[in-house]
Amino acid sequence: MPASSISELDFEKFREFFYRKTGIQFEPSKRYFVDKRLEERIELTGSETFRSYFTMLRFEASGEELQHLTNLMTVNETYFFREEYQFQCLVNSLLPDIVQRKKDGNPIRIWAIPSSSGEEPYSIAIYLLEYWAGINNWDIEIISSDIDTQILGQARKGRYSARSVQHLPENVLRKYFTRVADEYQICEDLREAVEFTRVNLAEPADTRPYRNFDVIFCRNLLIYFDDVSRKAAAETFYDALKPGGFICLGHSESMSRISSLYKVRKFPEAIVYQKPLEAR
Amino acid sequence: MAFIKTHSAQSISEDERKQPRNCENLEAELDNPNPTTRRWAARDLVDCPKASVALVSHLEQEEDVSVREVILTSLTTLGDEVAVAGLVNCLSSEGVALRNEAIEAMKQLPDEVAPIMRKLLADANPDVRIFAVNILESLRHPDVEAWLIEVIENDPHLNVCATAVDLLGEVGSFAAKEPLLRLKARYFEEPYIQFAADLALKIINED
Amino acid sequence: MKRILIVDDAATVRMYHRNILETAGYAVEEAVNGIEALEKSLQQSFDLFVVDINMPKLDGYGFLRELRSQDVAQAPAIMVSTEAESNDHIRAYAAGANVYMVKPVKPDQLLINVKLLIGEACL
Ligand SMILES: C[S@@+](CC[C@H](N)C(=O)[O-])C[C@H]1O[C@@H](n2cnc3c(N)ncnc32)[C@H](O)[C@@H]1O
Repeated sequence: MPASSISELDFEKFREFFYRKTGIQFEPSKRYFVDKRLEERIELTGSETFRSYFTMLRFEASGEELQHLTNLMTVNETYFFREEYQFQCLVNSLLPDIVQRKKDGNPIRIWAIPSSSGEEPYSIAIYLLEYWAGINNWDIEIISSDIDTQILGQARKGRYSARSVQHLPENVLRKYFTRVADEYQICEDLREAVEFTRVNLAEPADTRPYRNFDVIFCRNLLIYFDDVSRKAAAETFYDALKPGGFICLGHSESMSRISSLYKVRKFPEAIVYQKPLEAR
Repeated sequence: MAFIKTHSAQSISEDERKQPRNCENLEAELDNPNPTTRRWAARDLVDCPKASVALVSHLEQEEDVSVREVILTSLTTLGDEVAVAGLVNCLSSEGVALRNEAIEAMKQLPDEVAPIMRKLLADANPDVRIFAVNILESLRHPDVEAWLIEVIENDPHLNVCATAVDLLGEVGSFAAKEPLLRLKARYFEEPYIQFAADLALKIINED
Repeated sequence: MKRILIVDDAATVRMYHRNILETAGYAVEEAVNGIEALEKSLQQSFDLFVVDINMPKLDGYGFLRELRSQDVAQAPAIMVSTEAESNDHIRAYAAGANVYMVKPVKPDQLLINVKLLIGEACL
């Protein structure tokens, strides 16, 4: 397909549609990135024109093509121990705060969305094992979700490049990974420790079952959302958290520009947002 | 190790999702005593085409800010005439919080708000006019500059003019130059107007 | 150097206040709403706050209430508002403001209040 086959208007229509479905908004400057991926799918699906492809995309009941396309459009960049200060905050400040308030013996629940290829939820698990004594007394449940089914497959598998593990201390790398050719395979116990699920954060039907979390990590996703979707996401997290539950955002994302529902809490390692204790 | 998994996806998802959520039920749930139920009703009502009426009428009486926020998000997504009219009504509400929340919602709906902009800019209440100018900020409408010029030429209220000048610095072109100079002359004893108008003029001259 | 946090959603107003205060020799930080102001106050210390009332997300009242109740900072605060509504100043004081001023403020009046509150003026 020649590049010119996707017109300005087509692009606009697609942009609007994709935004409504995923909350992800492409700036006009992303035109080339979007066109290239659209063209790839148009060709692979054997569609005659952008129009016929777009019609299929919108009306296909299974949503299969939309998932394929979404997998292509997402930016999955991530690595182990990214923004490590937040994991330090988790073990040194958040969990002690949660445990101190806790009245039942139920597991402590952590939701990491988006998971991308799994480095973030696995980092959390590693951090708990290495740096949190409470792991001996409490059950912990880590659930991690992403919209991209292909990347979720990778996450479950747990095979990583040297680049992805480069920030891990040598002893941690040796303890939890085995080297396979020039890659690193995460150990079975850690794979067992994290549950991966497919969730579109912009879709209430997907997020509704996610409740009663003590901590949510949502890092480096909201930067791709526009204002309304960001606000809706913050409101979704409000219903997913227990009263007093915490939410950690990426370092370039501040709740102060998104929503007023959370309390700002300062801990030695980081600023974290908290659903008010008295909230219902 | 004390990591556990809930028994796969099932137990994550067993809940009222199975109940049919028709629009009528959802509207009734806006009055449920449990705020979580009200938030979910407000969230799910975006899929009901006529939901704006119920959402708007619930907005003013809703005491819980978390529910109000979800209602406003849904109204923003719906963005129809009823939604916009409901938001406009909030502008003259006594509650500062609700007023600010409504302004923020309206900023997300520039195209829907544009047709009633003139009316808002002529409102008898100067606060509403200031809000209207605030909303203009996000309006991508060819008339924005003309509206702002009209404000600084004619609005009798100092703070309405001051707010409009802020914005002219961003969107103003050569056409705003003379009106800005006249405004400066009219408020020659007002340092803030001098400052803001000079700033706007500087930006315009640089373009 | 004394440090002042200006909290206002209007960029020009922040610039105007910054201009006045910097010229008088103060170090100035800015925040666009109450939550951002709270974040900054948790991370840095200030000698004075100049706070707008009407702001998105968290307004001036809410900011001061949080500031005082969480015991983040007890430094004095000047509240400024475009509305000369009858009970604004009462609410401002109730929320923990020390001085209430109607916008737009005159430079010399702002400075007098700043100096008084920071304890640099002897009137
Ligand atoms: C840059 S990665 C962030 C990974 C990790 N949290 C980190 O900070 O390193 C962004 C991820 O967001 C996912 N994503 C994009 N839109 C989403 C949506 N609407 N719901 C859930 N995940 C989404 C993408 O598939 C991608 O894997």
